[in-house]
Amino acid sequence: MPFGSSVSSFEGGRRLASLAVGERGVVRRVLRDNPARAERLMALGVTPGAHVRLLQRFPGFVFECDQTELAIEPSVARAILVEDES
Amino acid sequence: MSCHVAAERAERATAPPVLRLRARPLKIVLVGNPNVGKSVIFGRLTGRYATVSNYPGTTVGLTSGRALVGAEVCDIVDSPGVNSLQGELSEDERVTRRMIANREADVVVQVADARNLRRALMLTSQIAGFGLPTVVVLNMVDEARRHGIDVDAAGLAAELGVPVVETVAIEGQGLGDLRDALPLASPIRMPFNPSGDHAAWAHDAATRLRRSRPESIGRIQAFLSRAVRQPATGLPILAAVLYLVYLFVGVFGAQTLVNLVEHRVFGDYVNPAATALATRFVPWAAVREFLVGPYGLITMGLTYAIAIVLPVVATFFLVFGWLEDSGYIPRLAVFSDRIFRVMGLNGKAVLPMVLGLGCDTMATMTTRMLGTPKERLIAVLLLALGIPCSAQLATILGILGGISFWALLTLFGVVVAQMFVVGFLAAKVLPGDRSDFILELPPLRLPGWRNLGLKTLLRIRWYLWEAVPLFLVGTALLFTLDKTGLLPRIVAAGRPVVTGLLGLPAESAQVFIMGFLRRDYGAAGLFQLAHAGQLSATQAVVALTVMTLFVPCVANFLMIIKEQGIKPAFAILAFVTAVALSTGAGLHYAFWVFGVQF
Repeated sequence: MPFGSSVSSFEGGRRLASLAVGERGVVRRVLRDNPARAERLMALGVTPGAHVRLLQRFPGFVFECDQTELAIEPSVARAILVEDES
Repeated sequence: MSCHVAAERAERATAPPVLRLRARPLKIVLVGNPNVGKSVIFGRLTGRYATVSNYPGTTVGLTSGRALVGAEVCDIVDSPGVNSLQGELSEDERVTRRMIANREADVVVQVADARNLRRALMLTSQIAGFGLPTVVVLNMVDEARRHGIDVDAAGLAAELGVPVVETVAIEGQGLGDLRDALPLASPIRMPFNPSGDHAAWAHDAATRLRRSRPESIGRIQAFLSRAVRQPATGLPILAAVLYLVYLFVGVFGAQTLVNLVEHRVFGDYVNPAATALATRFVPWAAVREFLVGPYGLITMGLTYAIAIVLPVVATFFLVFGWLEDSGYIPRLAVFSDRIFRVMGLNGKAVLPMVLGLGCDTMATMTTRMLGTPKERLIAVLLLALGIPCSAQLATILGILGGISFWALLTLFGVVVAQMFVVGFLAAKVLPGDRSDFILELPPLRLPGWRNLGLKTLLRIRWYLWEAVPLFLVGTALLFTLDKTGLLPRIVAAGRPVVTGLLGLPAESAQVFIMGFLRRDYGAAGLFQLAHAGQLSATQAVVALTVMTLFVPCVANFLMIIKEQGIKPAFAILAFVTAVALSTGAGLHYAFWVFGVQF
């Protein structure tokens, strides 16, 4: 699993929070600055390689990961790094 | 229903059978991610009903029952949904982990949502580490197919070396296969390096074993889901839902049905009949009065419980169950996350809060799903303080519905404001953190009438068993106080608070005694006072506000002790009582200063 703590080392990637509504992406990694949060996301299927689609930004973020719809707050959406679907 | 037991059976004909004579029954635990249908399978195997709803976290703690597997009676244990058995765990996850890690169970049945194979496999990889004989159930294969997803069950069985059974548990499909597969359970063969990366394996295996076509159905679901969670459409929908609930519970239940039962059934038949029977067959005046007097078990206790509260509770349980099963309630978390963050909670707290409208005691138990001890404490406090349960809503609607809409609005406005203030201060004062808001939104579904009916009936039965005896105990207590001449003294002692501070008639002191047992019982007493014309509209609002802010009932208080410990429980009781009385006093004063009339 790609590992790392600083965001700047992640090139060419974006955060889930920066996707537009309806836009798809693939999870590259989840920031480990808050390990408990990262573990919970992982257990819900938000792991590297998972396909995601942002469904809503306001009043909270909602996205689809596989067949699961997840609601998260903005800080969590910023901790999920995604790349464009190939 | 294809089943991959037969092949497995041939392969394992030589393996020692799991089933044999033993000192205690074989214990089989159902484990799986939240909201995958464990409780449905539990119900199908044991014939016992465990509450089934369409949102994660319905099952709290372990439920067990017996089932016949082959010729052997086994213990089946239903466990709360878990997302993980490693790392930082919630309370429920710890309970499940302990059960597996200490080998308290002999066989693990992992229930998986066929649509979410990757997540299920993450959990499978963790279960594998404990080495218990396992069977994997792919549930809801019908929904998965409708979403264009096919899971290669045979491939999965080969990959893991355990039986894999496909089911549609809600319809009972595949349960026979599951019974057949249980004797063939065996430890999961670790197809990966134990210290390796579970997530990568789960991702890889799910990709190999799942064939998914682009979504075929689910359009309507996706459309509805979007409509209810986006503010522009979601808020009007919420308003409409609340209004419909009000029409059904507040008007049909609290007015039409209550009138029917109270005046027709009890007023015209039950009470006159009971009085006539008592007059004829009970020679002792005291006993007669104990049964049918002003504080009589039948004329007061039963009338309150059955005629005033039951119709509303029943209608409420019905709509509430429908909303639960539709998957609507968790979507409210998307709107309310920001609001709850002010109170040191996050959007997830909407679940216990809305459940509290059904029953605060049960809701207090579900605060376990919240992330941190601080969040759990705040949620328990707010439930005790502000959330009126269905029985109490019943009496509030019954009394204020008859006065004016503004009276109702004032009551709820004050209570909600008080919850905000207390929540905000608690968030500042209490040590600890809140957790991040991460919530799974279950798929929207059309509720099944069978589950809805069963759930509603069981809840009504639970109400009758739990609340009615307390109503009767309370009535007996009042009767005793009245007969021994203590009641007038208590009324006199309460006068400074009740009359002086709150501006209520002195008789309402007894109502507050009742309120200590159950808020709705006290409110039912107010209902009678109001009907007798002893309570003005403003007095009714003050009295009901104080009653609403009280701790809900003895059962709820016991649950708070269980969840939070005895010291915090008494602290909550003292605090809530102080807030209730001071708010009532403030409201009385404000009404007086501004000359408010309803």
